[in-house]
Amino acid sequence: MSKDLGSQAGSCKDSRKSLIRKTINYFHKITSRILNSLNKMSIQFVITASFIFVTSIAIVFVGIALTNRVRVLAEENAIVNTRQIINQVNSNLDYYLRNMMDISNHLVDVIKSNKDTPNTELAQQMNSIMATRKDIVTMAVFSSEGELIACEPFYKLKKDIDITKYDWFTATIDNPENLFFSSPHVQNIFQKQHSWVVSLSREITFKRDGKTEKGVLLVDMNFSAIDQMCQNVVLGKKGYIYILDSDGNIVYHPQQQLINAGLKYENTNDVLKHVFGCFFDKHNGEKRLITIETVNYAGWRIVGIAYMDEIVYNMNDIGVYVVWILIFGILFSVFISFFISSKISQPIKRLEKYMKMVEQGNFDVNIDFKGGAEVANLAKAFNLMVTKIRQLMDQIVHEQEAKRISELEALQAQINPHFLYNTLDSIVWMAEKGKMQEVITMVTSLARLFRISISKGRNIITVEEEIEHARNYLIIQKIRYKNKFNFIINVNDKVLKYKTLKLVLQPIVENSIYHGIKYMVDEGLIIINAEERNGMLLFEVIDNGLGIMPEVLKNILTFDNRAAKGSGVGLKNVHERIRLYYGEDYGIQIESEPEEGTTVRIWQPIDCYEEGMSDLNEKG
Amino acid sequence: MKKVSLLIKLILAVACLASCAKNNDISIKEKSKIALVLKMNTGYHWSTIKQGADTAAREFNVNIYFYAPTREEDVNGQIELVNQALDAGVDGLILAASDFKQLVEVTEKAYDKKIPIIIIDSLVDTNKIHSYIATDNLDAGRKAGQALVEIAGTKCNVAIMSFVKGTSDADDRERGLFELINQYPSINVVAKEYCMSNMNRAKMLAREIISKNKNLDAIVALNSIASEGVAQVVEELGLDGKIKIIAFDGTINEINYLEEGIIHATVIQNPFAMGYLGVKYAVDMLNGNKIENYYKIEAKVITKENMYLQENQKLLFPFIK
Repeated sequence: MSKDLGSQAGSCKDSRKSLIRKTINYFHKITSRILNSLNKMSIQFVITASFIFVTSIAIVFVGIALTNRVRVLAEENAIVNTRQIINQVNSNLDYYLRNMMDISNHLVDVIKSNKDTPNTELAQQMNSIMATRKDIVTMAVFSSEGELIACEPFYKLKKDIDITKYDWFTATIDNPENLFFSSPHVQNIFQKQHSWVVSLSREITFKRDGKTEKGVLLVDMNFSAIDQMCQNVVLGKKGYIYILDSDGNIVYHPQQQLINAGLKYENTNDVLKHVFGCFFDKHNGEKRLITIETVNYAGWRIVGIAYMDEIVYNMNDIGVYVVWILIFGILFSVFISFFISSKISQPIKRLEKYMKMVEQGNFDVNIDFKGGAEVANLAKAFNLMVTKIRQLMDQIVHEQEAKRISELEALQAQINPHFLYNTLDSIVWMAEKGKMQEVITMVTSLARLFRISISKGRNIITVEEEIEHARNYLIIQKIRYKNKFNFIINVNDKVLKYKTLKLVLQPIVENSIYHGIKYMVDEGLIIINAEERNGMLLFEVIDNGLGIMPEVLKNILTFDNRAAKGSGVGLKNVHERIRLYYGEDYGIQIESEPEEGTTVRIWQPIDCYEEGMSDLNEKG
Repeated sequence: MKKVSLLIKLILAVACLASCAKNNDISIKEKSKIALVLKMNTGYHWSTIKQGADTAAREFNVNIYFYAPTREEDVNGQIELVNQALDAGVDGLILAASDFKQLVEVTEKAYDKKIPIIIIDSLVDTNKIHSYIATDNLDAGRKAGQALVEIAGTKCNVAIMSFVKGTSDADDRERGLFELINQYPSINVVAKEYCMSNMNRAKMLAREIISKNKNLDAIVALNSIASEGVAQVVEELGLDGKIKIIAFDGTINEINYLEEGIIHATVIQNPFAMGYLGVKYAVDMLNGNKIENYYKIEAKVITKENMYLQENQKLLFPFIK
């Protein structure tokens, strides 16, 4: 059994553990989610939001604590205040009742000191007391049989009245030593008298006709004095006090008439359970503070009723005040946090803007910052970095350009060995055959070709030289191909002195021969034109060869043709060199019609530097 | 950035709302004027109602405008007074109707003015009222009959002294009384008169009845004036004890007669409560609270024997002084 219990407890523990783990996991998830989303938000928002959050929580916490504290204080205060007031009433009432007892004592003394009762001294004393005290209704002395012996004012007893049956009479006989305070009642023993009174009665001994007898002294007091004592006691606006006797009858109530008419009830049962102290109750939905104090002699209870909503009314004021503090605190914190966060994030944002500019390729940024040491350092580092990048970029551009030029130069040089080998081969072959004239022509042409080709290492030569170069090349090739083709060169005299990039014609012509003419059955024709057109220098190389297929033509200048059979290498080379030298506006244009021929146009800017200047330029 | 500015706007809006909410703290209220129109401006019953109304007026801080004709049977006078009150622009009307039928028109007129109409003591023959506060007069009549049977026995000659014919309280009390009397065929009603709440007329009628009916055993008087008049005549003629008196209400004189054994039982109402509740209901309604549409006050039979019981003496002597 115990084992069962143990295992049960264990499983219970386990389930609790798993629950705890679950909740922890859950919180982990939530916090990580929050952190994740925070990562995505701007710093400014995060700072502002968290600042507001923290401040609000602090203010709310303080507000609640303050309100609660004030509420407790207000309640304590109300309890203390009410108690003080009740105590005051109590001491007044105490004093009043003692005064009544003194009066009765005085009367007892008078009665004792006289040999016969009633007598004139007693009547006089009673009379003077009545004259001074408005709160005393009647004073009377009764014998133990209930016979009226003395009375002030002078009333007649009702017929058929048995005094000995009244409470206040029997109580004194039962407790001869004590004074008795009755419940409030209508005093109905005298003819035509119906006053509400509290009766004070006590046993007395008096002498009548020389005999000592026992009797009862009755002092009836009305409520005027008590009323006066309690009337002005205020417990808030609605609060009041009332007095109960020990049996729960109401001695005094500010709305006695309503109580009598049955229109108002007091919950006297709860009150009777307390001798003194205080408690809260609910009456018609209102929370009330009931404070009770018991009067010494009569056993009366003074009951103070204070309405809590009057205390809470002040509380609401404080609540409103706290809410205002809260609102202004939050507003203030919003502004402060907004200010601080913008102070932090603004420079970062500016930095970001500059970085964007750099990202878009503008390296001419230089940030001048005064926004905090960290940001200034960051900016400095950023500036340094941008400068470095700029330098590196420039360097790369330079290097790249140098690399390309060297590459091109290498390409330019590439033409020669192959051709030279073939030509020399042809010359040898012709020399063997004894074709001396042709050998001479060829060697001469080759020499000219190379002279121009080398041209003291210059890249730019005159159109005349370039044409000459092409002509010599054609001469050599014509001999080599055994007059398989003819060529015509038309040069406008005007362009002869213009500058042109070296070796632009020869590769085109080479192409024409190798790809256009070489496989032709008929005799080929190559025409070279040089002229000025549209403000540009134009070389045209026209052949009537095989032409170029359209799909090849489409890509001939853009494709990296080194991979594809080596055809068009020359074309591309020339095109790139021109563009590298003169820009994108110039270069090669090809028109070709299969089986009809090809026209290649080489466009270059008109370059009419003075001889000296161009020399200077080329050296630089 | 956007979010923050939104946040600020939100907080400002809240602040604005809060400041708006604060503005309705103090509103100075003019004291409401409530008219109390009774059947008569003298007599224990009416003055006690007025005292109740005055107590409530003090408690709820309203002004009471008191109207009443000098004679209880003066129906037209009361109608005129109601009109007067309405012309004065009162905020509420408390009416003890002198006549069940004749006050209908003026009551409905008041109802149409959309002011609280509280009918006390005696009803008007219309539904256009907001509340009716009164002794259960039918039951009071029955209780008087019960007391008659207990005191004079089931075989007796009895005279009835009512006050005004046609008013609902008198009619109901008579009805209740006869309901009980009719159960006992041996109870012989020898006379029924209306004293018009006039003491002299009551005394005159009482003398007439007594002289005409030598075997009279009991007289039932249906209001305080009738009771006092009858008791006075019986005392004068030295017939106390021989002619039993069943009275209504608890004036000081009646209490003295009760103690002296001239009146044998009296049916008491609670006029103070009527006056007080009348005003309270009117005020409640003006404040928009819900009120009962009928508040029934139990009548109670008081005899010499039980008059000084704690609960009865409170009712009999509601005033401390």
